[in-house]
Amino acid sequence: MYPFWEGVLIHSTLYVAITSAFHVLVSHLTVAAAWFNLYIERRAVRENREELYQYLKRSALGLLVFAYVFGALAGVGIWQTTTAANPRGISALIHNFVFFWGAEWYMFLIDVVGIMAYYYTFGRVSKQTHLRLAWILALGSTGTLSIIVGILSFKLTPGLWLQTGNTLHGFFNPTFWPQIALRFYFMFAIMAAWALFVATSLPKGFFEREKIIRYAGGIGLLGLIGGVLVWLTMYEPALPEHARAILPSRAIPQPTFPIIYFGLAATFAGLLFAFIAPNRQRRVFALAAMAVMYGAIFGAERTREVLRKPDVIAGYISSNQLLFNDVPARGVQSEENRLSQTGMLGHLPFVPDVDQVAVDPSVTFGNVDQTVAVGRVLVIQQCGSCHSISPQTELNILGVALDLRSQAKLLRMRNLSTVDEIDAYLGAIHGFPYMHPFIGTPQERRALAEYLAAFVNNGAATSVAQAGR
Amino acid sequence: MDTGMTVGEMLKMMRDPLGAPFFPPALQALLVATWVLHIFFVTLALGSSLFAVYAFAQQRSAFALQLGRLAARLTPNALGLGIVTGIAPLLFLQTIYDPLWYTANALTGFWSVGFIFVVMGGYSLAYFFYLRGQHDRRLLFVAVASLVLLFFAGWIMHVLHGVSIRPDRWMGWYMPNGVIDTRGITFHAYNVPRLVFMLPLQAGLSLAVVLQFVAWYLRGRSNEPAFLDWVSELGRKLGLSVSPLYAVTGLAWALSEGPEFGATWVAAPLVALGLALMGWFVWLRGHPQRRAWSVLVWLAGLLVVAVVREALRVASLARFGYSIAEYPYQIDWGSIAVFSVTTLVGVAVITYLALVIYQAHATPDGQISLRVERLGKVATGMLGAWFAFFLLVGLYTLLFLR
Repeated sequence: MYPFWEGVLIHSTLYVAITSAFHVLVSHLTVAAAWFNLYIERRAVRENREELYQYLKRSALGLLVFAYVFGALAGVGIWQTTTAANPRGISALIHNFVFFWGAEWYMFLIDVVGIMAYYYTFGRVSKQTHLRLAWILALGSTGTLSIIVGILSFKLTPGLWLQTGNTLHGFFNPTFWPQIALRFYFMFAIMAAWALFVATSLPKGFFEREKIIRYAGGIGLLGLIGGVLVWLTMYEPALPEHARAILPSRAIPQPTFPIIYFGLAATFAGLLFAFIAPNRQRRVFALAAMAVMYGAIFGAERTREVLRKPDVIAGYISSNQLLFNDVPARGVQSEENRLSQTGMLGHLPFVPDVDQVAVDPSVTFGNVDQTVAVGRVLVIQQCGSCHSISPQTELNILGVALDLRSQAKLLRMRNLSTVDEIDAYLGAIHGFPYMHPFIGTPQERRALAEYLAAFVNNGAATSVAQAGR
Repeated sequence: MDTGMTVGEMLKMMRDPLGAPFFPPALQALLVATWVLHIFFVTLALGSSLFAVYAFAQQRSAFALQLGRLAARLTPNALGLGIVTGIAPLLFLQTIYDPLWYTANALTGFWSVGFIFVVMGGYSLAYFFYLRGQHDRRLLFVAVASLVLLFFAGWIMHVLHGVSIRPDRWMGWYMPNGVIDTRGITFHAYNVPRLVFMLPLQAGLSLAVVLQFVAWYLRGRSNEPAFLDWVSELGRKLGLSVSPLYAVTGLAWALSEGPEFGATWVAAPLVALGLALMGWFVWLRGHPQRRAWSVLVWLAGLLVVAVVREALRVASLARFGYSIAEYPYQIDWGSIAVFSVTTLVGVAVITYLALVIYQAHATPDGQISLRVERLGKVATGMLGAWFAFFLLVGLYTLLFLR
């Protein structure tokens, strides 16, 4: 339906993952930091502890310079990367939730103008007014989190929306409440690393430094423990059957789980250390904690995304951007049924007919057979959204290819190298819980197998040749 | 169209089958209106960045350096607001122009993604220069690099727009000589007069009007009336110099792009706008007390540009029998209710926050008036009540909505 951007050096979806993980880290940090700052400022006002404002000023400057703008940029980055990588997926979300996103935009505007007001009015307005600004920041940032979770969770569990087409059903879906609770708890662990980072920049003998570190460590620990409990008692039980089947499958590449478990354990240990020994904290510990959490978030968010494979929106649109179910309430009809009858070539925009496809050996591994060139067109449409389908997205660092489930590697791993073998394999591909059936005619499937066979047998050699060119 | 479809058929097929949640022309109006704020802040960031570089490179007068410091501080803040205000038009653009925007991004994928990293680089360097560079001339290259990156980011957006409004050329760009190119690294379409009109010239005008505003705003706080007079006059002269160029470049844009889409008439409003702005800056010489109005005048001018820009898009699509007036829609009252309530709350809170910033810095002692304090109480209460509303909608959906 749309042109396909495979990516350059790494696969397009990895750009999404890298940007998203950063956004999650920064955005959760800002929400929790707003609440923590409110807590500190309330104590400062009620107990008349002027020294606490030193911390608040530093934290606010950091949030203003780093978190809000980089968080916003990474948020826009998610738009850009998902738009380039999977336009129809983001389109389905936009056409359901544009007004929810509009509502989130107001909350975000409150955050950004709010942090400017908060930072630039220290000492210029009364303490009560400033405390009100802290309240606004805490509430506004929680508003953004509350709204975006409805859209994120919809992708895994659209719930009654599939029957009613009602966006309220899609928004307040079965995993909405568990996910909001999960994020609300975990964000305090991220915040603790931020607070540690800011507090350790205060002079070592500073009156309130150790108290703030202890507060942050304690709150972070509670958040971490609360998050794990929410996962076990609310989120995991709310996962649909399909997601449970995916969880232990090969769709989630290793070492994703060890990274997540290590991240949880290391964060727990780090926060406990901060709580017990606030006087021994260093800035480098905070940076290390953030790096560890970035890795864990990368793994966790990626797992959440993979859980709904092979769909972008479970039960509605597949990763290769085709609608495969009717939603009568919204007048939507499955495209897969129609395309299975007509074939793909020439029946979708940007999927040309056979006679428009030219042969270029540089993209078909030296092959001059037109069927292989046609197969490439089909691979692009059917497989490219999730797999590296050419050496273009196999960045090689010290002999290690950073590809994304390279089709050549997968087929080699399964000892499939001939056109017949690959064709038969494609015919049974929907046996995996994370794959849809091939869409198109038998001739098209054969052409696709021809390209993959060329990729399996010559891809590595071509990759080396291209690298040398 | 190579697949056997006409361009119009292809565009209609590419529309999202879920349709828009509201009348598409209303969303179009929101797109145009919100873009005005976005382009104002973005060009202000470019203008202030340009001035900071100029001031620190020349170091001719104490006033210029003083203003250069203000400009260096303004750049990252204006950019932050430019980014945030850019989200709203992006939402509405995707809703009614999904075939255009998504295709342009996929065809230019590498730069669409690279845009974010370019802006992050530009922003970081701008902040670094503000914090560290002002006292060390050797760090001027940081400000220059920031300016280059920010301008480049604007160019990328310009290219995406240029690609999006030329659907008849998409297939040729995607599949040159019958071979699909999946790299997305080519700048397929740009128009130099339009680029110059949109970025450097509008940057000059945004800076010019903000200098007028700053001179007016700081009058109650500053004990340097000579400096403020100088700032005001600099802004006026800048506006006076740029606006005729703006008219000429607008004409060049209209003549280069207008005929392609069958809309040469766009030359008239663009030239008229440039001349009207020139008239405004001439008039201001005798009416300095009105200088703060420059911002509103300029926002009205940007609205004209936004309408022209939209008219060109509409004209381009009309060539293929495509109109967003025919975009399918199904009114979605649930999400409209959430949006409307959040709009009320958002406007109240943001107004309060803006007034706090304004009053806190308008006078030396930063007094916040009682009326603003009262508004603050109400706005904060509304924000708290929003959560009750949100929860109630959730419970209603969960328990009663079938």
